Amino acid sequence: MTCEDVLNAVEPIAAGERQPDAGMAAHLSTCVSCASALDAARRLDALLRQRLVPTPPPQFTTRTMARIRRARWHNEQVIDWAFNAGLALIALATAAGIWIIVSRSGFTLVGNDALQLLGAGMRTFVQRVSPSLPVYALATVLLVTALGIWWWAERDATL
Amino acid sequence: MEPDRERELIERCRRGEVGAFEELVDRYKSLVFAMIMRTIPDRSQAEDLAQDVFLRIHRGLPYFRGEARLSTWIYRIVVNVCTQDRGRGTAQVSLDDTNARVSTPVVADRHAHDLEVRDRLEKAIAQLPAQYRLLIAAHYLRGVQYEDLAEAMNLPLGTVKTQLHRAKKQLRMLLETDLR
Repeated sequence: MTCEDVLNAVEPIAAGERQPDAGMAAHLSTCVSCASALDAARRLDALLRQRLVPTPPPQFTTRTMARIRRARWHNEQVIDWAFNAGLALIALATAAGIWIIVSRSGFTLVGNDALQLLGAGMRTFVQRVSPSLPVYALATVLLVTALGIWWWAERDATL
Repeated sequence: MEPDRERELIERCRRGEVGAFEELVDRYKSLVFAMIMRTIPDRSQAEDLAQDVFLRIHRGLPYFRGEARLSTWIYRIVVNVCTQDRGRGTAQVSLDDTNARVSTPVVADRHAHDLEVRDRLEKAIAQLPAQYRLLIAAHYLRGVQYEDLAEAMNLPLGTVKTQLHRAKKQLRMLLETDLR
C-alpha cells in the first residue's frame, strides 16, 4: 500500500462512503502525512456540511409569480399581435383574390346588371304597396294595442 | 415529496388551478435558491436566476412527461441556468484577499478561527471550476442524492462521485494550512 493509493481514497473515506481495508488502516496508522490528509479531509467534510444554507428573500414567491404573470402577458400580447396580423393578411389576400377573379372573369358587368334589376324590382314593390300603407299601419297599431292589453292582463294574473 | 402528491401538484399546475404553481414555488424555492446562491454569491443575481428557473419550469411543465422525478427535472434546470450564467464570468477571489479577511487574533480564539476558516472555505469554493462548484453546492444540501445529480447533469453516477472527490481534494489543497 503506497501513500498515493491512500491519498486517492481519502475523500471517500472521510465522507463515510468507503471503509479503509486492513492494508490501508495499517498504512494510516504509521504514515503521519496520510493520516493528516485524512484528518484534513474529515474536517473539510464537516465544514461543508455546516455551511449555511442561504434562504430566499421573504417576497420571493410573490415576485416570482409577478414575473411569471408579466412573461405570460407578454407572450399573450405577442400571440395576439401575430394572430391579428395573420387575420389581416388573410383578409387582404382574400380581397385581392376576389378582386382578381372578378376583374378577370367579367363578373363586374353581370354584377352591375343584377344590381339594376334588384333596384327596379324594389321600386315596383314600393309603388304597389304604398297605396295600402295606411291600412297596414292601422292594422299594426291595433295588433300592438291588443298584445299590450293581453300582456297587461296576464301580468296582473301572475301577481 | 411523495410521488403521488408530486403528480397531483403537476396535474393541478397543468390544469391552471389557482395557487398550484405558487405552491410549487413555495415547495422548491429554498432548494433552488440555496443551490444557486452557493454557486453565484451575488444575492440579487442569485434571486434573478432562481426566478429564471421557475419561469422555465412554468413554461416547460406542460411538456414534462414525468419520466424523471420533478425534483430531478428542477435540478437539471438549475444546472442549465447556472451553466448558461457561467459565460458572464465570475470574479476571481483570492484566498489572501486581505480586505475581506477576518483579522487574526493575537490570542488563539477558536470561534474567530472557525469564522476565518469558513470565510476562506467560501473563497476556495469560488476558485473551483464551475462544474465542481455546482456539485459541492448541491451535494451538501439536504436531500440531494448522487443519483439526482447524475441525472440532472447527464453524467454517469461514477463520474459524479469522482468529480466530487476531485473537487474536495482541490479544496483540501487550497485550504491545506487552515485544515490542520
